[in-house]
Amino acid sequence: MSETASTIQFFTGFSLNDLPFLAEAAGNTLLISVISISIGSVFGCLFGWALYASKYARIFLGSILDVFRSVPLIIQLLLFFNFFPILGFPLEPFAAGCIVLIVYTSALVAQVARGGIEAVPEPMRRASRSLGMSYFQDMRYVVWPIGARAMLPAWTGVALGVLKDSALVSVLGYLELLRASQILITRTQEPFIILAIVGAFYFALSYPIGKLTAKLEQRWQYD
Amino acid sequence: MSQILKRFSSVAALATTAALAFTLSTNANADKLDDVISEGELRCGVVLDFPPIGYRDANNQPAGFDVDYCKDLAAALDVDSKIVPLTWAERLPAIVNNRADVIFGGTSDSLQRAKTVGFSIPYAIYYAQAIVSKEGGIKTFEDMKGKRIAGAVGTVPEKEFLKYAKKWGTENLYQGYQSENEVFLAVAQGKADAGLTTNTTIKPVVGQFKTLAAGPRMPWTTDYTSVAGPRKDIAWLNYLNLFVTHQVRSGRYQELWGKYVGGEAPSLRIPNVMY
Amino acid sequence: MDYTFHWRPVIKALPDLFSAALITLEAAVLSMIVGIIIGLILAMMRLYGNRPMYFFATVWVELARNTPALLQLFFFGFGLGAFGWHLSPFMIVLCGLAFNNAGYLAENFRGGFQAIPKPQYNAARCLGMSASQTYTRIIIPQVFKLVYYPMTNQMVWAVLMSSLGMLVGFRELSGATQFLASNTFRLFEFFLVAAVFYYVLVKLILLVAHLISRKLFTY
Repeated sequence: MSETASTIQFFTGFSLNDLPFLAEAAGNTLLISVISISIGSVFGCLFGWALYASKYARIFLGSILDVFRSVPLIIQLLLFFNFFPILGFPLEPFAAGCIVLIVYTSALVAQVARGGIEAVPEPMRRASRSLGMSYFQDMRYVVWPIGARAMLPAWTGVALGVLKDSALVSVLGYLELLRASQILITRTQEPFIILAIVGAFYFALSYPIGKLTAKLEQRWQYD
Repeated sequence: MSQILKRFSSVAALATTAALAFTLSTNANADKLDDVISEGELRCGVVLDFPPIGYRDANNQPAGFDVDYCKDLAAALDVDSKIVPLTWAERLPAIVNNRADVIFGGTSDSLQRAKTVGFSIPYAIYYAQAIVSKEGGIKTFEDMKGKRIAGAVGTVPEKEFLKYAKKWGTENLYQGYQSENEVFLAVAQGKADAGLTTNTTIKPVVGQFKTLAAGPRMPWTTDYTSVAGPRKDIAWLNYLNLFVTHQVRSGRYQELWGKYVGGEAPSLRIPNVMY
Repeated sequence: MDYTFHWRPVIKALPDLFSAALITLEAAVLSMIVGIIIGLILAMMRLYGNRPMYFFATVWVELARNTPALLQLFFFGFGLGAFGWHLSPFMIVLCGLAFNNAGYLAENFRGGFQAIPKPQYNAARCLGMSASQTYTRIIIPQVFKLVYYPMTNQMVWAVLMSSLGMLVGFRELSGATQFLASNTFRLFEFFLVAAVFYYVLVKLILLVAHLISRKLFTY
């Protein structure tokens, strides 16, 4: 045994070796965000439509979704992560994080989608129905294109929010960007530089998307 | 739509009944030892901000005394080992909630904890020691009175110290952090005057932070730390006991202690007690 | 199912959880007050300030809106600590939340100011009001009404975000829950009760906001 307690390095500085590690973690952040946002948005649109269409859905589904908007995400994550093993199905941090983020996203998108449908003027919908369109044709060809534009800014806000909130999955031990930064800080003891790198990554992702949407929104206003 | 609703409400109903109604265990056939062997994987909870017992190497891979113990146990069982990194506060919940089969995490075998999880015989012995800033002027435990003290949430040193803090009336000066590493950072950055940690950790940490020094030893008793597992699985706990004695008999205990901590490994005997 | 639920430790800890909920509320309210003041200043700087002021305010707003709140808290914790600035856990949470609130509110305020038609300002001045009178009596009340709903939302966010305090050592509702749970190892039971506390807290805030708005905005 050549290594002894006096020769092993228990703390090692920040090095080039760590860049692939950070890149992998950034990939994980993207992966969990994209999965949660896309699936969550589909469910959110369905829920939003249900909220719009049915009084019962507003009462039951509405109040269930409301819970997910009124309890901190970190608590939802911890509860869910600890609940499934109790039932005997231990979940990986990734799976647990995905499920919670999907439900959370859908709860937020549902509100946005409902607003989007309500933004379509009633006379327009009556006109489309008078032209012989079925309810679903009306939904597909009239409500969706107009409503989607109306909800885009708010939806982007939700999506960017979820991207940033995915940092909380770190508390379950999922190796995403923030978790990686904590690991590196533990090892290198250089908090400032590592936090700055990680912050810059989130910023580089979130800022252009936000700006792009604002631009689109402006252009559509003059259409 | 109504189907979605139905599914949703049934999930909600399931969750509530499970949370409120289930109070007794319903399954008692295969035990943990069988489970681990048939799964072919040992899920090992380890705390990785506890150098040299648990830490990450330059490639960010888990390493340390506890990590090697975990691998040894997996090898003995002829299964793969999977390291589950945990914070201090997560250790026992991870056993209760079945996220890990076994915890090697410098877990003190307190009677309060034993109400919740099962413990093996002690596998390593530590004592609590403070890490202080060089200029802070803390020399003895009494000097820590009225100072800002940092500790990791959910550890025995935290609980023991808070007893003293309560006596002193300085509980509000205590800062609880998620990881021991944050404790070192807090002291190094001057957020706290002293941090609670373990004798084995002092050396690597003092080597890393030029502003830190070894502080006084804490007045409470030696930390006998045990391997933790599910409380009801006696066969599993017996196996863990046997594993601990085999590590000592084979000289592996001394070898790993020498590699990571240095010097002679402490004797695992508790003086004046027969067990 | 191999888990036995123990509710007794949680019930015993209810008074502690209740006082922790008050700390959460306190942190959220304080961070909102600071956030509103800074947010107003930032909005003014972006609308009427000179170039450096505009730049400063824009950087603040964009950083607050485009990075995770948890990262912001870590930054106020160990990030600033690297420079020898020491904030207590309470101050870390307060600064982090206020920084975040100010960033989001500044954008709301800016939108609010822009929504008030310019001629109103001129009209008020023609009637002999001073600039400060115009602002305090004509412009700000209208802006306030416009941003009231987003402000309520932000208040709810502040309560939810304060839960991140547990990760920087602040003993608010989540931090206290984690501390108590780590004493008894009943993580699930404790966090379930904490979730109920948050839900009730949020509903109470919305109710109070609704009552205030009824009182303020009916003429």
